[in-house]
Amino acid sequence: MEIKQLKITNFRNYEQLDISFDKKVNIFIGHNAHGKTTLLESIYLLAISKSHKTYKDKALIRFKEAYSKVSAELKKDDTFLKLDIIISNQGKKVLINDVEKRKISEYIGVFNVVMFAPEDLEIVKGEPTNRRRFLDIEIGQISSIYIYHLTQYNKLLKQRNEYLKQLQQVKKIDYAYLDTLTEQLAQHGTEITKKRIDFIKTLTIYAKKLHQHISNFEEDLMIQYLSNYRLKHVNFENVFRLYKDHYQKDIEKRVTQLGIQRDDIRFMVNGIDVSDFGSQGQQRTTALAIKLSLIDFIKEETKHYPIVLLDDVLSELDDIRQTQLLDCIKDKVQTFVTTTNISGIKSDLIEKADLFCIKKFHIYKKEGEQDGE
Amino acid sequence: MHYPEAITRLIESYSKLPGIGPKTAERLAFYVANKMKEEDVLNFAKSLVAVKRELMTCPICGNITDKNPCNICRDQSRDRSVIAVVEDNKDLIAMEKMKEYRGLYHVLNGVISPINGIGPQDINIKDLLERLKDEEVSEVILATNTTIEGESTAMYIAKLLDKTDIKVTRIARGLPVGGGLEYADEVTLLKALEGRRELK
Ligand SMILES: Nc1ncnc2c1ncn2[C@@H]1O[C@H](COP(=O)(O)OP(=O)(O)OP(=O)(O)O)[C@@H](O)[C@H]1O
Ligand SMILES: [Mg+2]
Ligand SMILES: [Zn+2]
Repeated sequence: MEIKQLKITNFRNYEQLDISFDKKVNIFIGHNAHGKTTLLESIYLLAISKSHKTYKDKALIRFKEAYSKVSAELKKDDTFLKLDIIISNQGKKVLINDVEKRKISEYIGVFNVVMFAPEDLEIVKGEPTNRRRFLDIEIGQISSIYIYHLTQYNKLLKQRNEYLKQLQQVKKIDYAYLDTLTEQLAQHGTEITKKRIDFIKTLTIYAKKLHQHISNFEEDLMIQYLSNYRLKHVNFENVFRLYKDHYQKDIEKRVTQLGIQRDDIRFMVNGIDVSDFGSQGQQRTTALAIKLSLIDFIKEETKHYPIVLLDDVLSELDDIRQTQLLDCIKDKVQTFVTTTNISGIKSDLIEKADLFCIKKFHIYKKEGEQDGE
Repeated sequence: MHYPEAITRLIESYSKLPGIGPKTAERLAFYVANKMKEEDVLNFAKSLVAVKRELMTCPICGNITDKNPCNICRDQSRDRSVIAVVEDNKDLIAMEKMKEYRGLYHVLNGVISPINGIGPQDINIKDLLERLKDEEVSEVILATNTTIEGESTAMYIAKLLDKTDIKVTRIARGLPVGGGLEYADEVTLLKALEGRRELK
């Protein structure tokens, strides 16, 4: 999987951009606020159909413009694919080879990305919502069925919570309706939980190995999925029964107590919870190992390598970590790197890369030092 | 700034229609005032009154009709043992266009959706239950939409009929006719697989 050409119109501060990529590794050098993150964001948007920075699609439209468009020409195996995403006041439109795709499940996973950004640390250090977001995005990008269950679940949860609130005003609770919402919620909740279990199980295998290498075989990473259902056997019957046992509490509190909206993940390094007790370095290593493990995970699940986006993080990594990263991307993974300062990046990587300058939302290919090879 | 009384009231009336915001209501009202011919306005006003005065909802099935009961309910050649439950009149008309369904209907006039302030008692379910007591119905086909609210509403009605002898079915969903499997998205495939039927 490779992006051969990227075209951008009115995307944040970019007015027009049209670049082609020949190499696997592409490094973009630029000052603060000149458009580095935005460039990676546009690639992320093409893959995930959402920004990694904002929920509000309209924030991506260049100030005072009516629409924003990102297009790419992709090479997948030996075929070429054209992908367009257009955001306007009317909403979002996705086209594959000029044919509009209306359902997420029709375009999700056309290509996958793994984004490394300074915010990754929040997956380890931050609130549970950060970890659930991580689960949803990463499972979602390989499974449109997961996204389907998740959207259904969230709609049902809203309806159920609203119904619980309204119960205050009615004389008699309509248990047939509460059962209906609960049964549906339990169905989707079960499927989501099963997929989260599988994901964490597989991811752990990859992350553990990477973590060992990065930590010089001194540390051992374990990832635990803390399902809010706390069931030994996750199946519809058990989940449904659990919800039913909580009816009284739900009605009292006027909100659904149980569910995947309360799930969490715990990262244990040498038996210690890194989120609460880990050192800065341990937290960083953990975040990096998890992100790196996604590369092989996605390759395994989809048979294609993802595109790797490294926003401002590479020069922050020490030698061991950069080596580990290089090892993961080998010569197979197309990688886009941004940095304010190229001096922190290992020369092995620079040698095989094309270099670009980003200046005030314009991009120039750096010729010269690269021509000799 | 104040508009003349007549315009203000027309804007208010337009605003009460679904999908019309204050801006559109204003535009429509001024269009009527400035651009429409008097004859057209009169016809418009007459049909507005007529739909309200001459039409009614059928007391049996909830369909919109100018006869009581409606043409479908009074048609003795239809199969009275089957009732298709639909969300609204538009869905009934879609079913009728098919010209294959010969049973009766029940129009719910909405779906249950607490976030829109519509509870189970706010749609036409009570009449359906009454109907099922009296009439000789052996099957209820739940033909609500496949939205989450449509599914909830169907499931809810099925639960209410749990203890009766009436057969309750749900319309199938899945692959579009004539479409190849390789073009279907995964969710559609999943639903098609869940809704599979036995051939042997
Ligand atoms: N919708 C928009 N229209 C126009 N400009 C925007 C829009 N959204 C963001 N910007 C501008 O884009 C700039 C940020 O760009 P970006 O995040 O890509 O910079 P960067 O090169 O990654 O900077 P840093 O090195 O600080 O991370 C900000 O100055 C912001 O004002
Ligand atoms: Mg940035
Ligand atoms: Zn009727």
